[in-house]
Amino acid sequence: MRDVYVIGAGQTPYGAFPERSYRDLFAEAYAEARDAVDRPVDPADVDEAVVGTLGVGGRQLGLPGPAVTEHVGLHGVPCSRIENACAAGGSAVRQGIQAIRSGHADVVLAGGFEAMTDASADATKYWLGVSGETEWERLTGTTFSGVYAQMASAYFDAYDTSADDLAHVAVKNHTNGSKNPKAHLDFECSLEDARDAPEVAAPLNLYHCCPTSDGAAVAFLAAGDVVDEYTDERVRIAGAGAASDHVGLAQRDSYTAIDASETAAETAYDRADVGPDDLDVAEVHDCFAIAELLAYEDLGFCDRGEAATLLREGVTDPDGELPVNTSGGLKSKGHPIGATGVGQVVELFEQLTGRAGDRQLDDPRLGLAHNVGGSGGAAVVHVFEQEGVVR
Amino acid sequence: MTGVESVGAYAPAYRIDAETVADAWGQFQAAGISQTSVPDADEDALTMAYEAGTRALAAAGREGREVDGLFLGTTTPSVEEEALTPRLGSTLGLPADIETRQQTGSTRAGVDALAAALDAASNDGRGTAGTESVYLVVASDAPRGAPDDRIEHAGGAGATGLVIGPAGPGAVVDRAERVSPRPGTRFRQRGSAETTGLGITEYDRDAFRETVGAAAEALDVELGSDRSDVDAVAVQSPNGKLPYRAAGAIGVDTDAIRTGTTVHDLGDTGAASPLLGLASALADGNQNVVVIGFGSGAGATALLIDGEDVPVRTALNGDQELSYAEYLRIRGEITTGEPEGGGAYVSVPSWTRTIPQRHRLVAGRCEECGALGFPPSGACPRCGTLDEYDTVELPGTGTVQAVTEIGQGGAPPEFTEQQARSGPYVSAIVELDGPAADETEAASMPAQVITVGDDAVEIGDGVMATIRRIYTQEGVTRYGTKFRPSED
Repeated sequence: MRDVYVIGAGQTPYGAFPERSYRDLFAEAYAEARDAVDRPVDPADVDEAVVGTLGVGGRQLGLPGPAVTEHVGLHGVPCSRIENACAAGGSAVRQGIQAIRSGHADVVLAGGFEAMTDASADATKYWLGVSGETEWERLTGTTFSGVYAQMASAYFDAYDTSADDLAHVAVKNHTNGSKNPKAHLDFECSLEDARDAPEVAAPLNLYHCCPTSDGAAVAFLAAGDVVDEYTDERVRIAGAGAASDHVGLAQRDSYTAIDASETAAETAYDRADVGPDDLDVAEVHDCFAIAELLAYEDLGFCDRGEAATLLREGVTDPDGELPVNTSGGLKSKGHPIGATGVGQVVELFEQLTGRAGDRQLDDPRLGLAHNVGGSGGAAVVHVFEQEGVVR
Repeated sequence: MTGVESVGAYAPAYRIDAETVADAWGQFQAAGISQTSVPDADEDALTMAYEAGTRALAAAGREGREVDGLFLGTTTPSVEEEALTPRLGSTLGLPADIETRQQTGSTRAGVDALAAALDAASNDGRGTAGTESVYLVVASDAPRGAPDDRIEHAGGAGATGLVIGPAGPGAVVDRAERVSPRPGTRFRQRGSAETTGLGITEYDRDAFRETVGAAAEALDVELGSDRSDVDAVAVQSPNGKLPYRAAGAIGVDTDAIRTGTTVHDLGDTGAASPLLGLASALADGNQNVVVIGFGSGAGATALLIDGEDVPVRTALNGDQELSYAEYLRIRGEITTGEPEGGGAYVSVPSWTRTIPQRHRLVAGRCEECGALGFPPSGACPRCGTLDEYDTVELPGTGTVQAVTEIGQGGAPPEFTEQQARSGPYVSAIVELDGPAADETEAASMPAQVITVGDDAVEIGDGVMATIRRIYTQEGVTRYGTKFRPSED
């Protein structure tokens, strides 16, 4: 099987930019990603483009992929849009890997975008709920905050945990995000702030929930046989895994785990021939604080019921054994739905190539990206390995 | 011989005190009423009819499938045109080959629905007696007026169901009707949700007293010359005074009137009023009850019922008091209605396809491995077989497995009106009990759990199914299952 490398990745700042178009956002991410490649990627080099977006607002439900690639001058390139709710970005990366491994492409653009903040409050809530199970789950009056709150209730009931543990997730991720110039909510928050925020869906309060953001991210992937044409810094996609599950929470086997994440991670570790203990850094899908705790367990960072302890002991802090969400995560960095999974690749590419600025870890070699769609109907996991600088 | 097999009655959990209304308006215009019952934001004539109907069937020991006819009386159907009886019948598990009648347009509608059912029971349409048939009669109502109108001050809510059938211990001894062309005492203009009246005191009183009295007079009964064998008179009660004004015309003392009315505690329950009085009187152990429905126009229908040994199941004791601001919210007087921006779009045909699940929790058993599936569509949740399911009806009880309370601002657009009217709501995952007591495997469904006051819902709590409004889209109200905490 052909090796696949990330040769460059870049993104817009995440935030509220209601005056900017989705095409404009994508163009900025495209330029940032091209700048991140050591030697230029000519538009003619791009053999395939895969673009993730949910299509929030309905602004370009059909053909959003070509709508952004033609805007940046990638005329004629085979392009398709991938929709997998909040896992659209990770799924675009996965499709890009497959295009290279199948031999259809040597260089792939895997990108994602979402424009979310220009809609009314009602319209935003409508669009946030559409990836839940619509005919039953949504009609109990829940959007995702409600569904993740139900998961939190079951988790608290199963393990000796509480909303206080969720507050600690918020504090950690805001601390990280405050060092990220691309973060949407780039401020630190105190434990008191996170404890006393207004309730959204009990037991979740505002600080247990990520924001809705505008943004775009782009990663260039290249086959092992052409990677040297573009870069000397070799970040290999060592393992890829993905899985799906029932869209509605009530249908699933567990409410205290996301089985799709666990399966996707097992596959990715197996392909990469590594285990969670080998990781140096991870970007996990913390759309709600409870999701970060579930991710620790689903991804094998700790045993079931031990996530809160792992967090409180500082293991996932930047100076811990396994720093998680150095970017700030969805909580602080932001969550422009289609961009999020690709944005995780941007953070890991920067960490693994020593470009992460104030957030830079000490020479990490192995990183993991974990991207979830809906409340666990889809999950994508990638493992990235820094192979060192080849001269 | 056809008779009354059972009676069921229901009133919502919320109450507003006359004093609370008086504090808000400077006066309370509904004489003789101390409090009124108030429907929750997701209750209406259909959902209350379900509550009363299901209690009547249970009291009779009848299954819905045994019913041959459904007769509904209400002045407040959720739509002015379009029958509610097919959906009400569906929620109660009634078959498709039933007679249905929906009486409306007058507060007599409840008693008239009973009269129509009695006609049907004694006549199969070809002039011959159909004595084996079973009928469910439901009167359900929640009258409304303008906030400062005496009809709003009086307006309560409730429903009564009666099973009429061959096994009935209760006998309808006699029946009479009288009309008198006297309009204006109570009417609602086309297109309006607010009932009103001209408020001409003496005229209204005479129209009521004389019409009701004439119908009672016409009852050909041997109950003693002074009607001393009448235990109660369940007469239309638009307020707490008018029924007593008619005692003389009916020929009874005021104790009999008091025994047969719920108006003091529930308010004016419109078309349900006389039959709620009957349910209350029978529940208190009374036997001979004169039931008199009255409607503006005017007309009255009177029946004498010997209710000895009729089983009665009532749920009339709500005690959750509302402030006036809460009352205005729950009534929808100060909320903004459906928001712009659209809601989750589930088309009416899509909804209709799942009505057996939404109304009656019809699940499926995998033909391959026996696992329960809900809703019973798609691959088996256990073995993955993609095949037909055997139909299984679930008992409607279950256990909370996961739960959230959606606070201010957390509701999707199609539920913001519900939240605005009745506050934060509970959304849960409920593990449904299987059809057999020893079932080891269960299916789960997401559903709201109805809470009243300080009720808290926790994982492990037992719940039981009922029917409420889920939401309204494109003008069509969708009814479906919600749960309430178990009564034990």
